[in-house]
Amino acid sequence: MKLFALIKKEFHRFFHDRRLIITMLLPGIIIFLLYTVLGEAIHTEPTKYDYKVYVDGGSSLTSVIQSAVEKSGNTVEWIPLEDMEAARKEVEEGEATAILSFTEDFDRFGENGADPADFAVSIVYDPMDEAGSGFYSLSLAVLQNVGMKFSVHSEPLASEESIGREVMQQILPFIIVCFVFSACMSVTLESVAGEKERGTLATILVTSAKRSHIALGKVVPLACISMLGALSSFLGVVLSMPKLMGLSVGMLGGYSFGAYVLIFLLILSFVPLIVSLISTISTASRSVKEASAYTSVLMIFVMIFSLVAAFVPAIGDWVVAIPILNAVVSMQGLLAGALPVWQSLVSVGANLVYTAGLVFLMTRMLSSEKVMFGK
Amino acid sequence: MSEFEEIVRAEGLKKTFTLSRKQQKIEKTGEKSRIAVNGLSFSAYRGEIYGLLGPNGAGKTTTLRMLSTLIRPDAGDATVNGFSVVKQPEKVRDSIGFMTSELKLEGFFTPDYLFDFFGAMHGVGKEALAQRKRELFSRFGIDRFAQVQVKDLSTGMLQKVSLVISIVHDPAVVIFDEPTNGLDVLTAKVVTDFLLELKEMGKSILLSTHIFSLVEKLCDRVGIIIDGKMAREGTLAEVANGDLEKSFFEIYHEIKGEFV
Repeated sequence: MKLFALIKKEFHRFFHDRRLIITMLLPGIIIFLLYTVLGEAIHTEPTKYDYKVYVDGGSSLTSVIQSAVEKSGNTVEWIPLEDMEAARKEVEEGEATAILSFTEDFDRFGENGADPADFAVSIVYDPMDEAGSGFYSLSLAVLQNVGMKFSVHSEPLASEESIGREVMQQILPFIIVCFVFSACMSVTLESVAGEKERGTLATILVTSAKRSHIALGKVVPLACISMLGALSSFLGVVLSMPKLMGLSVGMLGGYSFGAYVLIFLLILSFVPLIVSLISTISTASRSVKEASAYTSVLMIFVMIFSLVAAFVPAIGDWVVAIPILNAVVSMQGLLAGALPVWQSLVSVGANLVYTAGLVFLMTRMLSSEKVMFGK
Repeated sequence: MSEFEEIVRAEGLKKTFTLSRKQQKIEKTGEKSRIAVNGLSFSAYRGEIYGLLGPNGAGKTTTLRMLSTLIRPDAGDATVNGFSVVKQPEKVRDSIGFMTSELKLEGFFTPDYLFDFFGAMHGVGKEALAQRKRELFSRFGIDRFAQVQVKDLSTGMLQKVSLVISIVHDPAVVIFDEPTNGLDVLTAKVVTDFLLELKEMGKSILLSTHIFSLVEKLCDRVGIIIDGKMAREGTLAEVANGDLEKSFFEIYHEIKGEFV
């Protein structure tokens, strides 16, 4: 009942203060708007395209595609394919839009008794190139309209996407950690160091509430609130980053459900860890100013940790024992397309153990007259 | 229940503080530690107002902090309402209402919310809490301000709210450190009236002060502390002999060998 009342008080303090809510959610919204506008400005291209498409083999369907292209206000130039490698290079470099290859005697696909397995069309394009992806979508729609009489193979050239994904996988964990840390900092410093400085924490210490309940009564709600703030910033980044980098938002959907669950669990494990870390520092400090000075130094360390992880290619399994860094490395693995389940789960467990240790330390500090009442 | 039932009993309380280098420099001393309370023993009886009188630095606040379990004695023990401050600190905290200028209320909350919160902190049931809130808020005129944020209350009303919240759990003993320190005359009157009201309600009150008139106005018995030791203890008549201030300085001279 006492723990419940303590938790309820923190939630009440936060959710009844419009300024606190705005301060917590605003960064995410600002990031989203800023990055999106920036991305739009950088990557805006003309909407009319002159497609340059290499054709291998031949089919009457090219004229159907051509008329669809022209109806959409664009033009297409068909070039007979001579050198596949050179053409692919052109597509990669954005000089050509796509390569359309038809199997031999393709137009016989409509004849009676024709086996659909004998007829195929493949489209090589660059999904990062707006002209390429536009032509691909249009051609696919035309080909699918014909019916299931042949197969369509699409071959996206993923060079830029790979680069984009790599950048995302290296930077996203760092950005997540930074946002989580600042979200935790903004609520925890005020709630713990602020209450200590103002003397309101001492008023609670005079009650019969257990010190461990007072510590948990801070860490649990502040972790939940920080999670909201971190989530806002995280969504702001995730939704705007592809736009900023000229990537498709869809590439974020390329991860498995399991990967998302693990990323969520990792975030869920290091938010209370950071909150309990800042709470412990705040309890030891005499004022908000002192606590924020210590916490700023800590934040620099955490940021360096996260950045180092992005540029050190192979960190050993021992990393699961290092708080926060373990989550960063696991997230990088998950964003790279691997599914380091064992590493992620051990990291989550390790972070929770560290959190429990810090809550215990905070409890001891709350019981210490030197820490709480020392001049 | 006997007429002189001990509600607070301190036995040989001792507390030493380490002096930081900064403190040593400020006080121009080479001492690394200072004895704040040195084997203090006294008893306060149920239903009375007991005053700890002494100059600044005599050990009054340290004594009250030990009795309220905020700090632990280095030696000795004390019982409050039958519970040991060393062995049963949580039970002691449920038996006392502790007031000091260092304990503050969060300005964001309303008196209504804080009363319920601190009631829950002391494990008071919902119905009992609601009834007690009605009684106390009405008795001290807080009901009209129950939904006003604490930061917007006048100093006097804030003091009343703090006092009422300190007794939310109907404690047997109210401990008050320097009750009128730093208060204007009107707010000081709110506090002294409140203490007399509490006495009428049958509460036992232990307060510390260096103000002679406050002891004369409120206290049934007084203990004079000098240098962390009990110099004299008894009823006002026993200790003061009609003039508390004069008696205090005589005792001070007797112990310290110096005139102020």
